[in-house]
Amino acid sequence: MTLAKTAIIGIGATEQGEIPGQSANEIAARAAVKAIEDAGIDKSAIDGLVTCKPPMAPGKVGTDEDIGQLLGINPAFASTLEYGPGAFSLHLAVGAISAGLAHTILLTYGTNLRSAGASFGGGTRDWLTLAGLVHIAGPAAMAARRHMHLYGTTEEQLGWVSVAQREWAQNNPIAIFREPMSIADYLASPYVVEPLRRPDLTMISDGGAAVIVTTAERAKDFKKPPVYIQSIAQQSAMRSDQNPDKLMRPWIKDIADRVFANAGLGPRDMDLVYLQDATSVWVLQMLEWYGFCGVGEAGPFLQEGHTRPGGSLPVNTNGGQLSECYMWNWMHLYEAVRQLRKECGSRQIADVEVALHAQTHDFYKGAATILSTHAG
Amino acid sequence: MAENKFPDVNDPATAPFWKGTRDGKIVVQACTKCGYLRWPPGPICNECLSSETEWKEISPIGTLWSYAVYHRAMNPRFKDEIPYTVALVELDDGPRMYGRLVATTAKVEPGVRVRAAFQEIEPGVTFVYWEIK
Ligand SMILES: [Zn+2]
Repeated sequence: MTLAKTAIIGIGATEQGEIPGQSANEIAARAAVKAIEDAGIDKSAIDGLVTCKPPMAPGKVGTDEDIGQLLGINPAFASTLEYGPGAFSLHLAVGAISAGLAHTILLTYGTNLRSAGASFGGGTRDWLTLAGLVHIAGPAAMAARRHMHLYGTTEEQLGWVSVAQREWAQNNPIAIFREPMSIADYLASPYVVEPLRRPDLTMISDGGAAVIVTTAERAKDFKKPPVYIQSIAQQSAMRSDQNPDKLMRPWIKDIADRVFANAGLGPRDMDLVYLQDATSVWVLQMLEWYGFCGVGEAGPFLQEGHTRPGGSLPVNTNGGQLSECYMWNWMHLYEAVRQLRKECGSRQIADVEVALHAQTHDFYKGAATILSTHAG
Repeated sequence: MAENKFPDVNDPATAPFWKGTRDGKIVVQACTKCGYLRWPPGPICNECLSSETEWKEISPIGTLWSYAVYHRAMNPRFKDEIPYTVALVELDDGPRMYGRLVATTAKVEPGVRVRAAFQEIEPGVTFVYWEIK
């Protein structure tokens, strides 16, 4: 089966930050309403629904049946992902359209994990927790230390991930962290898990986001310019520590090779890059595995300022999860679509046509999408 | 959500490992079909999928792959232990294990050689720590 030509024709987001007193499902439904408005359609045009369970949410939260009920729809196709950040939900929708299960799919995500006081500090009695290796900061710190050892990467070079994204966030009214942060400020902040500092780690925030995907044929009938999905690819690394160099995540290169080959494009063709940033180390690694610089060269590449506003490779122009909000890569997708539609105001990059949207589920798996203003 | 800090050392799935640590040994599952040394413990061989297995002592020597120094307790259960260092060790026999690094004045750097140090943390429960050779 070949991949159907599909396009994003609607996006929506709620306010980001703290949304006390609202359920995750309510937030997801409000985001969906915004995406439906953005697409300029009646909800009856939607025949597919993809939802996901928010991270750390207890019990039955985010299911298709509950969100479909809130929105008053009876889609032909409906599914809920246990792990459904932006790219994974998007790929499920593209697959369902290719299979003919639906033609216009609403994807939505909502979370109240900040207001609910969710903790990412672990608590299961597994081998890593017994060793005290709790929170993603621990393994990410090990990966950063290994990179420093192998390639001479410095803490300052790593710091440019967070500093550059803060610079982008200053022009993003949605961003939660907008106060200026210099590289000196970064280096002056205390370690959390050495060599990582607070600015190297994602915030935790409440919010909702939604996307509507349809066939490229139908996309022309909607009111907003379509953003076409040119290519998708995924790879997992489920064997975990039985894989050598697990923490360096070399399998990301497999995703890169496939997503570029599927599109007939290479890293140099990307006008915009969105890399999910649970930690700054993920950005460092993905810059290398996606071929924006050589393996081991991300430190100098970052220090040279390529990813900053005005640089040669705009990365996470919304500020990412380090500065904008923690939306599981959904707001990276939202920003990519808005940039490609030229809706980003003072941080709009001129003449952008192609974007890479990539994410990883820590050490387990990853997904990437190439988005384009061209149908071809 | 108070979690017990200590594992159930009598769980049949892992008891031979914990008996090994009490005896000052690292003992892991070895596949009797293909010989693969399995860590963490599991019901089937991750290599050949055989469920025939035996527990076998392996070398307690390895190489430090990397480490992380916790300056903040990311989980409240560790707040009294800050700062502490967690090591990832590649054992000479193959398995990769996480464990605390014993405090040291030696230079800590990926690539240094380490050996297991067995520390009883409560009666009957002995953890594998790592010390620089
Ligand atoms: Zn075997």
